[in-house]
Amino acid sequence: MIITSPIFARLAGLVVVAVLLELSFFSRIPMLGTVPAVLPVVVVVLGLLGGAVIGASSGFGAGLLVDAALGGILGVTSLALMAAGYLAGRWRETYDIVSTLVPPILTGVLTGVASMTMLAIHLTLGIDASISVLAVREPIAQALMGGLLATGLFPLTKWILRPALVDDVRRRSGRRPAPSMLGTP
Amino acid sequence: MYRKQVRRRRATLVALVVLALVLISTHISEGEDGPLHSVTDTIASVLSPIEEGASRALKPARDLVNWFDETFEARGQNDELQVEVSELREQVSLLQREVDLRDEIGEVGSLDGTDGFEEVAAQIIGRSSATYLAKLDIDKGASAGLARDDPVVVGEGLIGRVSDVTGGGATVTLISGADSSVTARVLEDGPTGSLAPIVGEPGTLLFDVIASDKEVRGGSMLVTASFTDGELTGLFPQGIPVGEVTSARATDRAVGQRIEVEPYADLANLPETVFVLTGGPS
Repeated sequence: MIITSPIFARLAGLVVVAVLLELSFFSRIPMLGTVPAVLPVVVVVLGLLGGAVIGASSGFGAGLLVDAALGGILGVTSLALMAAGYLAGRWRETYDIVSTLVPPILTGVLTGVASMTMLAIHLTLGIDASISVLAVREPIAQALMGGLLATGLFPLTKWILRPALVDDVRRRSGRRPAPSMLGTP
Repeated sequence: MYRKQVRRRRATLVALVVLALVLISTHISEGEDGPLHSVTDTIASVLSPIEEGASRALKPARDLVNWFDETFEARGQNDELQVEVSELREQVSLLQREVDLRDEIGEVGSLDGTDGFEEVAAQIIGRSSATYLAKLDIDKGASAGLARDDPVVVGEGLIGRVSDVTGGGATVTLISGADSSVTARVLEDGPTGSLAPIVGEPGTLLFDVIASDKEVRGGSMLVTASFTDGELTGLFPQGIPVGEVTSARATDRAVGQRIEVEPYADLANLPETVFVLTGGPS
């Protein structure tokens, strides 16, 4: 991804809008015993489009905003989202996205990972409450809903960031994409 | 070139991880008035009006989604509601007896201890997506007279307490939130204990009875209980309905009973407006 000032502004805007949507909309629509988590989905999609650094940085920023808005422990959500964004970015840098099914599946899995990581961090920091095995239901449900959300959010985010995507720039200028330097597709 | 990219990527990741860990450890170790908490409060103050605007703008979309959900759910609720009405009638009669009893002994003139509290209506403008954290953002803060630990209620009963306040907004931790605890007692004349959440089961609370051999039965009603022990006082005024005992079964341990309570308020589907009881009797 080619980062210019306008693209940086778009990235920041996407993260802020995702935070607001998560707090004011998605988290207030109960489904499958939990609520959809749109923030990990957006972070993973940014990682898939922009690479590990973009994924990790946007996860860090989004997490800080959420923790500050909800009076949580600053850094916990950042750490969980950063992990998801970084892993998505590493996937993009290592493999090609050869099928339209890859983004939703990967986003679903990494949304579940982010949710599970956050629960694990909170448990490590100490939760003064009983823990039911049903606690794993939330990451699984959020993973499923994350995969569904990604089917719409991945193409939308790709369209918003299109001027910065290297492959798209090459394609539009009539050049064939260069083979990946980081691994075999 | 490639190695430089890898080095840059690793350096960024390490820097972000270290920064996150420093933030976590500082946030936990410093006091409520520490510099990091001040920064958080400032960010929350800036975000609060934006959240409020976003919440209002998205209300029609939320209503639409919830309308579909509620319409399907309502079909199956008719029988349940009829049973609930008969149970509520019994509870009303229990409460009336308690009022009469209190009036007789001249203890408190009304059923609950919320006399003297001012009710401040507040709109929910944000909510955490992790159900075990169970935090809400509301659009009223210190400027409306709210203070930390003020109880928050809806029509059905207690839903939580104010856990963080800024000038124009506040964060509420629900009774299903991982760090929540409510002192409650069983009506009528039942034992007092502490209600704690279960991570993974947001619709259920565990009632831990404090030193009592009184047996608790299913269907019993729980209300908040106040207490004073030296400088320690309970967070909630007494008498706010909290929930109903759904299961009370004997255990092998010395604890006696495992008592599960379902909150009266539907914590997953809260109304747009909640009420903060602020001030308290002077």
